[in-house]
Amino acid sequence: MKQFKNRHPYMFIAPAVILLSLFSLIPILIAFVISFTDMNLKGLADWSSVTFIGLENYIALFSDSTFIKSIFNTIFYVLIGVPLVIICSLSIALLLNYGTSKLFTTFRAVYYMPSITNIIAVAVIWGYLYNTEYGLFNYLLSLLSVENVPWLEEPTIAKLSLILLAVWKGIGINMIIFLAALQGIPKSYYEAAEMDGANRLQVLFNVTLPLLRYATFFVTVTTLIGWMQFFEEPFVMTDGGPLDGTISIALFIYKEGFQFSEFGYAAAGSFVLFAMIILVTVLQFKFRKSDTEY
Amino acid sequence: MKSKLVVLSAVMVLSLMLAGCSGNSSSEGDDGTVTVWAMGEEGKMLQDFSKKFEEEHSDLTVDVQAIPWDTAHDKLLTAVASGDGPDVVQLGTTWVPEFAEAGALLDLSEYMEDHPNFAKENYFDGSVSTMEHGDEVVGIPWYVDTRVLYYRKDLLKEAGYEEAPKTWDELKDAASKLADRGEGSYGLDIDRNDQITPFIFAWQNGYEADLEEGELNFDTPEFKEAIKYYTSYFDEGISQTQQGKDIVEAFKEGSKPMFFSGPWMINIINDQAPDLEGKWATAVMPSKETNTSSMGGSNLSVFESADNVEGALKYISFMTEVDTQMDWLEESNTLPSRTEAWEDSRMQEDPMYATFGKQLENTKPGLQTEQFERIAQELLGSIERITEGGADVDTELEKFNQEAQSLIEE
Repeated sequence: MKQFKNRHPYMFIAPAVILLSLFSLIPILIAFVISFTDMNLKGLADWSSVTFIGLENYIALFSDSTFIKSIFNTIFYVLIGVPLVIICSLSIALLLNYGTSKLFTTFRAVYYMPSITNIIAVAVIWGYLYNTEYGLFNYLLSLLSVENVPWLEEPTIAKLSLILLAVWKGIGINMIIFLAALQGIPKSYYEAAEMDGANRLQVLFNVTLPLLRYATFFVTVTTLIGWMQFFEEPFVMTDGGPLDGTISIALFIYKEGFQFSEFGYAAAGSFVLFAMIILVTVLQFKFRKSDTEY
Repeated sequence: MKSKLVVLSAVMVLSLMLAGCSGNSSSEGDDGTVTVWAMGEEGKMLQDFSKKFEEEHSDLTVDVQAIPWDTAHDKLLTAVASGDGPDVVQLGTTWVPEFAEAGALLDLSEYMEDHPNFAKENYFDGSVSTMEHGDEVVGIPWYVDTRVLYYRKDLLKEAGYEEAPKTWDELKDAASKLADRGEGSYGLDIDRNDQITPFIFAWQNGYEADLEEGELNFDTPEFKEAIKYYTSYFDEGISQTQQGKDIVEAFKEGSKPMFFSGPWMINIINDQAPDLEGKWATAVMPSKETNTSSMGGSNLSVFESADNVEGALKYISFMTEVDTQMDWLEESNTLPSRTEAWEDSRMQEDPMYATFGKQLENTKPGLQTEQFERIAQELLGSIERITEGGADVDTELEKFNQEAQSLIEE
């Protein structure tokens, strides 16, 4: 009965472990198995018609021009979107941290609002903003006598439009994390810096930013993972068009899986994405400098 | 954004679990309830409408679940996977092959004799092919729809057309004249996301697929010529390539005086543009070889795992009675699938319905293969590359043909 001696800690983690395995680990394993089969709608109804086809799905993926395109689009989203989100949310957090009055608290809510707004509502409103004929953006530009911009109708511009929307939506949550970290910096550091006669910029670059390193790392990792799974924005705004210009890997997987019922193929796509995310995350942990304790 | 990946796998696991459960629950069937899954607006109205059925069959109660169209496909997938579907399901005609192929629909052949309403000769030719899958009967047409030409009478008159264009040439000519009226004017609006429109043009040009032989015939001159005709509307600026204004708004102000659409547009225009009364009309499709249009609409099918097959059959039989269909027309404005219903004076005298009645005699459903959705999306992609991306028509269509052919050979 020795093994039951230490059962209490296991009981405490049991709910989490059970839920995690039921809704994350087992599905991932099953999807991994499925990715080696030709599972489709027919297979779903009748298991006997599913056959193992080995790596065929993976080979087919890399000769599928839409999939290749979706990889490049996703890289485009990540390269532009991630730094943009981090810079914007950090600067807004810094600015909001200066004041303590009611007004600043209100603005926290204002910046946080987009991240909790329903994506369909966002799509409707931004759809109007981006409309080429009667959208607000083109109206404002026409006041400056700029030609109509095809916000969602030219592949590259459409990608940028979606990034703009996603940045607007993604700032809130990261800003809260940065704000919390900022408020966790002990006052004594600033007092010391003041006594040394540091000006505001020096305080920012030599005290605040280094002490935010852990928060920045956390935000970078989570944002990067989030953007590699970029899905909602193209799904509701463009459905991957025009000319597959906005299709992301996650949207590609969704379409293959649920629109065309090619579950095996979609599962294979999801494992390619899985591998990419693991790789990028491991790299980040590798290159991370050790933290300064304070 | 997160965990979208996991969703797919989670669905699978859940369905496995549900499949395990459903074995037990089906034994308690035959409790006098007919469960019905219906889509969209129709689904919402159907519960009330079914009261009449309950009066006629006092031992049965109907339980309608309304499912929004955009989540319907996902919902049906889970039902197939778990074997835990309804008794009666409404299926859009383009989905029939897919779900029939998966074995999700009950073969109704043996019940045909007991339910005279199910007989094939009651329905339009275009509908009959959607009832069949191989030698099985997998669904009964409930309502139909087809595309016709909506046009502004007053504006066409100014362009010199007393009547709606009757041929491809006239359509092109009228549309180009209308498009020439000035900045922001277009001649014919083509919904670029509509997967059936390119096929309608192809059928009109004499294109035909031979699915039994596995020949899609996308490399025939008939098909290519039709796509060239279709894309020329965009190349010549007669149709708008961008999304632009809402079609009702544009129709009202006259910037898009012609478009193809289904019967649902009648009410929308009447409601949203009441000023236009008398200034617009519908007409059958302009013809090339034929004036074939699409056969859309919905069928009612019995789910393979239905608990109450007998009740389901009675319900479908009730919904396909001529009288019920006429009542349903009044309720929901969807067109009756029974040819007999079209002989009713109401259908003959109303000019709007008369157009549809005439068009319905010459319709075809989307290709009856479970890959249709995929093929249609590929085609729309190719067309987009031609009109937007400046790709060469011939090479692009050649690529599309190979792609599509390999899809059905799989």
